[in-house]
Amino acid sequence: MASLRPSGDFRTSYAADTAIFDTRASRWACALAVALLCLGPLVLDKYWLSLLIQIGYLGIAALGLNILVGFTGQISIGHAAFFGFGAFASAWVANHTPVPVFFAIPLAGVATTAVGMLFGVPAARLKGLYLAIATLAAQYILQDFFSRADWFTGGVAGTPAAPFRVFGFALDGDQRYFYVVLAYMVVCYLLVANLMRTRDGRALVAVRDHYLSAEMMGINLTKYRTLSFGISSFFAGIGGALYAHYLGFVSVEGFDILVSIQFLGMIIIGGLGSIMGTLMGAVFMTVLPEAMQGATQLVSGSALDRALDLKQNVSYLREMAIGTVIILFLIFEPDGLAHRWRQIKAYWKLYPFSY
Amino acid sequence: MDLTLLGQLLLNGVIVGTLYGVVAMCFVVIYKASQVVNFAQGEFLLIGAWVCWWLLTAYQLPFVWGFLVTLAFMLAFGVLIQVVVLRPLIGEPVIAVIMVTIGLSIVFQALMKWMFGVFAQPFPPIFARESVTIGALEVKTAYVMSVVVSVVVMGGFAYFFKATRLGLAMRATAFDQQVAQSLGVSIRQVFALSWAISAMVSGIAGVVTGMVSGVSSALSLVGIKVFPAVILGGLDSVVGGVVGGVIVGVLENLAHYVDSQFLQWGNMFEIAPFYVLIAILMIKPYGLFGTRDIERV
Amino acid sequence: MAWKPVGVVVAAALIGAPALAQQKVEIGHLADYSGPTSDVGKPYGEGVADALAYIDKHGGAGGKLPMHVDTRDYGYKVPQAISAYKEWTSHNVAAIFGWGTADTEALIAFVTKDQMPYISGSYAGALTDPVGHADKTAAPYNFFYGPSYSDANRGLIQWAADDWKKKGKPGAPKYVHMGANHPYPNAPKAAGEAYAKELGFEVLPAIQFPLAPGDFTAQCLTLKQSGANYAYLGNTAGSNVSILKACQTAGVDVQFLGNVWGMDENAAKAAGTAANGVAFPLRTSAVWGDKVPGMATVTEVAKMSDPSGTNYRPIHYLAGLCTAFYMSEAIGMAAQKGKVDGPAIAQAFYVKKDWVPKGLEGVCRPSTWTAQDHRPTTEVEVYRVAVGGPTDAPVGELMQKGVIKLEKAAVINLPRKPEWLGW
Repeated sequence: MASLRPSGDFRTSYAADTAIFDTRASRWACALAVALLCLGPLVLDKYWLSLLIQIGYLGIAALGLNILVGFTGQISIGHAAFFGFGAFASAWVANHTPVPVFFAIPLAGVATTAVGMLFGVPAARLKGLYLAIATLAAQYILQDFFSRADWFTGGVAGTPAAPFRVFGFALDGDQRYFYVVLAYMVVCYLLVANLMRTRDGRALVAVRDHYLSAEMMGINLTKYRTLSFGISSFFAGIGGALYAHYLGFVSVEGFDILVSIQFLGMIIIGGLGSIMGTLMGAVFMTVLPEAMQGATQLVSGSALDRALDLKQNVSYLREMAIGTVIILFLIFEPDGLAHRWRQIKAYWKLYPFSY
Repeated sequence: MDLTLLGQLLLNGVIVGTLYGVVAMCFVVIYKASQVVNFAQGEFLLIGAWVCWWLLTAYQLPFVWGFLVTLAFMLAFGVLIQVVVLRPLIGEPVIAVIMVTIGLSIVFQALMKWMFGVFAQPFPPIFARESVTIGALEVKTAYVMSVVVSVVVMGGFAYFFKATRLGLAMRATAFDQQVAQSLGVSIRQVFALSWAISAMVSGIAGVVTGMVSGVSSALSLVGIKVFPAVILGGLDSVVGGVVGGVIVGVLENLAHYVDSQFLQWGNMFEIAPFYVLIAILMIKPYGLFGTRDIERV
Repeated sequence: MAWKPVGVVVAAALIGAPALAQQKVEIGHLADYSGPTSDVGKPYGEGVADALAYIDKHGGAGGKLPMHVDTRDYGYKVPQAISAYKEWTSHNVAAIFGWGTADTEALIAFVTKDQMPYISGSYAGALTDPVGHADKTAAPYNFFYGPSYSDANRGLIQWAADDWKKKGKPGAPKYVHMGANHPYPNAPKAAGEAYAKELGFEVLPAIQFPLAPGDFTAQCLTLKQSGANYAYLGNTAGSNVSILKACQTAGVDVQFLGNVWGMDENAAKAAGTAANGVAFPLRTSAVWGDKVPGMATVTEVAKMSDPSGTNYRPIHYLAGLCTAFYMSEAIGMAAQKGKVDGPAIAQAFYVKKDWVPKGLEGVCRPSTWTAQDHRPTTEVEVYRVAVGGPTDAPVGELMQKGVIKLEKAAVINLPRKPEWLGW
């Protein structure tokens, strides 16, 4: 079958070697998935559309974090602050300048890149836990800045964000905004997939794998580490801007350390260094609380509830279940969903010789 | 320049900083032994505080007995967590283990709310005098107790790591796991022990914080203070963690002094440690007392 | 996923339903039982849930319209609030009980666009302006019961001014706002400081202390040194307890002014004698156990989740109860006129003046909502905490024995100034 890859590396041209999609089948599967999603607003109700939109903007931000953590080997516990910066920047640009929302979102991404590179400068010298804690400091410093900078963020009262408009046609409401988010997702994921096959992308991976050797080969570590922070912040900013224009209101409350940890969870569970893994991780972390909420509604009022006398305590059970699912998942698959998916694909390709 | 106020604040900083230092010590013990960033450190404090509170109020135990039983429980608890949750992850990428500790913190937060309710609870009065006067400053007796206990714990740690076989084994594991294994040190035992010690000492810190502020689920947020303390003191020595904690405590109070007297910005108490942290890291990337990692190709 | 079987069936049944009296009205309820604000969110949420269950047991909204309430614990996490909202709006929910700043602010634009009546536990001044004067955001579908945070702060300052005069102290009293740099504590800061200045207070620079409990000796020493006479504590109960205890140890002589969510029976128990004398606003005219006509209904409502009737119900429970009764009466009035949708329910809120729900006289304060003004009341009931001794026992026992007492100090009547609308 032409869609199966032969075992071994038989690529005969440079173009084949650097292809984003390995087989024709995966390319068509991707296109089909996007086409199906385009039909989504016609059949799905607001709840599902809203979930998909959330997966969208969180997935874009998580992509940025995966570039930083998965591809460059740094670590960041301050991603939510950059996400928030993008949200506020986009709202500010849309409210205070004549720039329309359509351009405010990429501009917010660029602004967040600048901030990210600022915090990336110390990152050039720091390693390991020290870097992690420096990013934690960045999180708190930026959060404090959001609370104090009234001119930028509306201070503690928050700021409204204008709805997304194209030539005067407002694209707000779940059904229409879904297409905006879908477009951004496709573009961003393609951008990152492309980045990883360029020279710079390979340099980032080299920095992760063995930075001393990379340095000896002529890769400027400082430049690439700072660049990595900048790129990751760009996507965080775009994700944040999409979030702002979806909600229509940006408030300091939504960008605390727990959100940073959620992003980290997405890429770890999805698979570090894997683009598809980022999306899978974003889906997992967004759907998990909803699934647990659904399970809670099944349990409450049922025989189990009466037997254990849970009543309201069922929500504690739900939180514990979420934590336990994360723990169990990582115990059984520490390399993430992407790795598990590759294993499953390999199993079926090589069946019955998958040993 | 109000010097009495400054003096009082510095003294308060040292006293409160010792508590942060104790928590930082626990964090460093785990990090040194197994390179795991324990995000559930705050929850260990919380569990210690709740268990001690429960023993004192539900069973009317005298404080000393309740405290000792809490320590024993935390010891066992640390071992249990390590064996059940973390042992399967030995050898896996460190970041997965970090995520597991995050998952643990979620589970424990919910569990504590379920078992002990959502309302803050005060500790029953333990000392005859609620506060003592040191210089011009009124200090809660609980803090004095914490300073005494911290010094005892530090002394205990110093003796343990220098003079006992087990302590030596832990230091060897922290230095180089493979070499330690080849010399017959049981890594699994060392890991379990490091988690047990960390949990026990966190329990102490939790009890002290509970005595001062009452036990509530927000107690775990004290765990965030660990991070600047650990960096300031360097990750290499356990005592460095204590020094870092004291520095953070003093820094907080000093920053508040400067802020309230001169700057009037209002936020320095919370944010100054982080600014100082970044500044120090720019100059000394391995913290104030950390040793530089020598990297070979 | 069969997670909303009843809801789906009922929603399907609601489509094209002529006689509303036979159908159930869907209501959404966001509560925080497991998140960071659960210490006040749990009693409030229980108050709302029990009240709605009681009303439904006795015929439903307006006595005729059965309700189906979906109580969702969202743990103070914004994504969960958003997905709950989206789920409810795709199933024809008529009204939503919200909770705190996080969810109310996140949903404010959606709620206005979808015309969904949203009655919250957040009393921010920004929610009081339905029309949107000057540059304030219009919030025509946001309601809440009780004085706004800003008005409560103003009321306490007025009480402080009267207290200063009563004590006969010379000179201008000093006022300081204490709280974290965070939306909730900062909500009334500008209003409070402006009003204090207006009343002749010397307004000292604000002192910040974080929302997480910890050691606040530094702040207390600064407070002592500044010579403040009245200090407004803007944080939630957990950190207020820490600072009260720290200031007691430091020997600070200040009259503390609490906020609606920052002081209650449980916080008084946790703080012990440090809470003695703290003045704070109450949203209701009574506390659990007071001898007022409405307390009989309250006791009956409490029996919905505690048949023995022995659990002590904190002040937040009563506030949630009143909130639920107001919304359900509004839904009942809308149903009587024929339509149960967003604009109809909002209009129903504007019908009665000095409105007290039936059966709750003496408990819920008379409230008036108008199309231009969503402040239900500008009267602030100021209560003071009196703690007589060690607070080891359970809260109910402490209240019964009188170790902790909540005593009504004054009812401050603020003028309903239009320039105070929206902030």
